[in-house]
Amino acid sequence: MQKKNTEPYISTYLHQKGRRLGLPIAGNFELTSRCNFNCPMCYVHQTQKEIELSGKRELTAAEWINIAKKAKDKGMIFVLLTGGEPMVRKDFFEIYDAMRQMGLLISINSNGSLLKGEILERFLKAPPFRFNISLYGGSNETYKNMCGIPAYEEVKNNIRALRKAGVEVSLNLSITPYNKDDLEEIYRDAVELDVNVKASSYMYPPVRINGETYGCGNRLSAEDAAMCSVKWDKIRFTDEEFAIRAENMSKLIDEFKDDCPIEADEGVRCRAGSSSFWLTWDGKMLPCGMMTTPCVNVTETGFEKAWEYIRTETSKIHTPNKCLNCEYKEVCGVCAAVCFTETGSFSGVPEYICEKTKAQVKLTEKIYRETEGEK
Amino acid sequence: MIIKKELIKREIAGDTILVPVGSAVYDSNGLFVLNELASFIWDLLPEAESETDILNAVLNEYEVEKETAQKDISEFLAKLEKMEII
Repeated sequence: MQKKNTEPYISTYLHQKGRRLGLPIAGNFELTSRCNFNCPMCYVHQTQKEIELSGKRELTAAEWINIAKKAKDKGMIFVLLTGGEPMVRKDFFEIYDAMRQMGLLISINSNGSLLKGEILERFLKAPPFRFNISLYGGSNETYKNMCGIPAYEEVKNNIRALRKAGVEVSLNLSITPYNKDDLEEIYRDAVELDVNVKASSYMYPPVRINGETYGCGNRLSAEDAAMCSVKWDKIRFTDEEFAIRAENMSKLIDEFKDDCPIEADEGVRCRAGSSSFWLTWDGKMLPCGMMTTPCVNVTETGFEKAWEYIRTETSKIHTPNKCLNCEYKEVCGVCAAVCFTETGSFSGVPEYICEKTKAQVKLTEKIYRETEGEK
Repeated sequence: MIIKKELIKREIAGDTILVPVGSAVYDSNGLFVLNELASFIWDLLPEAESETDILNAVLNEYEVEKETAQKDISEFLAKLEKMEII
């Protein structure tokens, strides 16, 4: 099994302190909704034309830098630059360099396809804290089907170049109907590249693009998503580790959760809206990038007031009672964003997740017994 | 003393933290937390020519036994050297 990404103690400490004192320790800056890929399950991607038709606009580099300064003055130290694909912005390095000089620790979400040539050179001279690169498949064919571009070999080469220079890379894997048969190849690549993979077969309904898609999306059925999660466990764990996994799952304990760090038992359980915030490409602040509410325009309201508003509104969100009392709650990964995107309400019970969790527990045990039977 | 790595000192919620901003690849921890004495010494480093300069400044600022101060300073500087910061 690969080692897990463990968060430095100082990060956990600062987030806990931030939560207690109401400080925005971490900011997610969604610099653009544009992307050179066109993945069917994406929750944010829009073309330039779609942006123009929406009447919205991307914030300028100066606006991003100004917001970062305000957030830094309030305590922000961790920044995630994300998109869309952040590298499609011609002024990306104007924003990145300015944030770096402020004393912010920057991670970058990227599809990895543009991390070459001059862009790569600049990153090697001034590397981020970490790249989180999405790996979408184990072949050019899968990439073509899923992302519209056969970029597999190129992405792998770019990751290799980053790793060779000692730059920290972590892989994100979204398991979908388009790449579900590539799991073994993807794991093989991760081992070869010596990077960790954070995999999820759960795709949030893309309610930010289309508010009518609650509970929908180009994603696997709950049963298939469960099967893929178990298949991924079978690939990444040794037989001994899988046996422990199966035993824990039968007791409804999940010791290998790859979800957001959990800080509370109820309400918004992660750091969203208590020590971290999300800024959309058009300048709206949200607790988490999967939600559409609570939401406030930062450029009109100002950072400080926007943060106070998000904190206050986030504290009013509660976990559905049925979920709080459910025996599967430790293994299901229910969160406010899941409830909202699945049902349109924070108090709605996300049936898709219930179905997926129950199927995953059952399938883990079934596959464990089959493996034991073969021995 | 020469500070080799480019680091910014930041105060966050009462903690003093050194954040790397230069070209070096971050190590897995990325951040250094300084206590009050370490923060005081850090500010002296660019002007200090020797450990004795730092010791004298610390003895002027804090009510502390010379031996204790000497030990704390040496330990801190050794850590910085080990991390190739100075």
